[in-house]
Amino acid sequence: MENILEVKDLHVTFDTYGGKVQAVRGVNFNLKKGETLAIVGESGSGKSVTTKALMGLIPKPAGKIPKGEIIFEGKDLAKLNDKHMQQIRGRDISMIFQDPMTSLNPTMKVGGQIMEGLIKHQKMNKAKAKDRAIELLDLVGIPNPKERINQYPHQFSGGMRQRVVIAIALACNPKILLADEPTTALDVTIQAQILELMKDIQKKTETSIVFITHDLGVVANVADRVAVMYAGKIVEIGTVDDIFYNPKHPYTWGLLGSMPTVDSKEDELIAIPGTPPDLMKPPKGDAFAARNPYAMKIDTEMEPPLFKVSDTHYAATWLLHEDAPQVEPPAAVKRRMKGFATADASDEKGEES
Amino acid sequence: MSSKEKLLEVKNLKQHFKTGRHSTVKAVDGVSFDIYKGETFGLVGESGCGKSTTGRTIIRLYDATDGDVKFKGKDVHGKKSKTNLKEFNRKMQMIFQDPYASLNPRMTVKDIISEGLDIHGLVSTDKERTDRVHNLLETVGLNKEHANRYPHEFSGGQRQRIGIARALAVEPEFIIADEPISALDVSIQAQVVNLMKDLQKQHELTYLFIAHDLSMVKYISDRIAVMYFGKIVELADSDELYRNPLHPYTKSLLSAIPLPDPDYERNRTRIVYDPSKHDTSEEPEFREIRPNHWVLCTTKELEAYKQEINN
Repeated sequence: MENILEVKDLHVTFDTYGGKVQAVRGVNFNLKKGETLAIVGESGSGKSVTTKALMGLIPKPAGKIPKGEIIFEGKDLAKLNDKHMQQIRGRDISMIFQDPMTSLNPTMKVGGQIMEGLIKHQKMNKAKAKDRAIELLDLVGIPNPKERINQYPHQFSGGMRQRVVIAIALACNPKILLADEPTTALDVTIQAQILELMKDIQKKTETSIVFITHDLGVVANVADRVAVMYAGKIVEIGTVDDIFYNPKHPYTWGLLGSMPTVDSKEDELIAIPGTPPDLMKPPKGDAFAARNPYAMKIDTEMEPPLFKVSDTHYAATWLLHEDAPQVEPPAAVKRRMKGFATADASDEKGEES
Repeated sequence: MSSKEKLLEVKNLKQHFKTGRHSTVKAVDGVSFDIYKGETFGLVGESGCGKSTTGRTIIRLYDATDGDVKFKGKDVHGKKSKTNLKEFNRKMQMIFQDPYASLNPRMTVKDIISEGLDIHGLVSTDKERTDRVHNLLETVGLNKEHANRYPHEFSGGQRQRIGIARALAVEPEFIIADEPISALDVSIQAQVVNLMKDLQKQHELTYLFIAHDLSMVKYISDRIAVMYFGKIVELADSDELYRNPLHPYTKSLLSAIPLPDPDYERNRTRIVYDPSKHDTSEEPEFREIRPNHWVLCTTKELEAYKQEINN
């Protein structure tokens, strides 16, 4: 499949009174046409900043992109000026934000907010844009779209509002959809609906999606590929099966181990000790070393490169170096590696009975 | 849970809010359950189902509209003398959802934690107070240097630990934890849950654990009640509830949780809850289907559920 977006060695920094925060420290990834790439990580790992950089939404002048390229259709988005970026934003690349309560304008009717982009980018007249807005609301599953476009955001429930936000993002048939924790603020049943909706729309429109979340359950549900971020870097990237059934990075082990599975009643959850490092002064060597029970001496001295595990799977940990000792991943992760699926099959039966 | 001593009894608890001259919101509408000493009782449901209101009413943050709450056999609500109220407040404590909003930003950690100690007269000298605070900080995995800092100097997980230390300060028997981990990162969630489990063992605590994250609730709870629109629709031991959910709402809720397992996710079928499919020939009642497994249902539905569970 062809690459629609290439991110090369992206760095983002923010100047603050306390000093320079290195929020993103060299991120590389490709996005293929029609795929969903999930970016997971804790808050402060740089996942939101990365997508904001793709959208050209890094607040200036405090935020800067000192290094790196974002190649989209032969153009480097990192170096585009505001005017050119405005033509791409909302048309080719659009974004769904986390909080549907704040990302809509409370003083504008929902219809008007959807039509805004259509009139600006597609040069539609008002009547045409209105028809398209009704179509979009219908597409995202809002009943009575004809009446609903004349309502204000406060007249919608949280899930319905997020549908409106998705409709706005889809208005101009974007090639790339950036979804920044689109379901975190929603209830599980509503979350399931929104995820189904997004997958459904992706099938119809062949949009590529970058999906940011910290919920590994959601990742397993939507993603084709997964990038795990820690302290401003991608520490492991691979297909969804690579990451869930054959994880290599101790941080990924920690993340997977800290989520209770259905059969993990007895053993203790593996908590990752400590907290993420201060990105004002990123530590020398591997940023995860301080929290890593498997850390070796080299981790405090040199940063690990991305080692290749397979054609689709890369991980940045010295454990993959040929001289590294063999280590046993935690029990919960080992269960995953062999026959995790069989363990869960029994649970699935339970739910259906 | 060997003793099976009832610590808390909630009977037909109702909490209605007036929202206008002619409209009321029935946030909690006839909820009954018991909590035994030493167990963790999970209360789950979607936002707006009344789970937080239930917790807040139990601890007297709201006056109940109707119904009884008995803690160790004594009524929680109604008029109380100052000393009785003080005694009650000491035995029941709460951990709040938002570690950013629930700590006073103008008080140091020491002041926050020792406030309860002073109110209940548990310490007499400043030295004693300081020692006790240092002790509590260590119990929850912080260190004593943190005592003189302010809440803004801490991360979310650390703040939640301060909230837990504050609740533990007065040596309560029963703690209501209202979504204590929802605002935290995944890796930090596990830290806090492990801490709560350890503390439970050490101090013989009883928890009411309110949450919407079903997998965490399953992990920490002995028994779980599922709430829907102000009513408990199903109550059972946590394994039983996950293995044999009977009420259609429980089924839909369980089928909606995404699990961190791609193979399972690819084959998942979601069950959608349709409230109109219920038998409406009579008012549904809370009935016991098999020992310790209760479902809100009518007599007709009861038969159907019994058949379902025996197959």
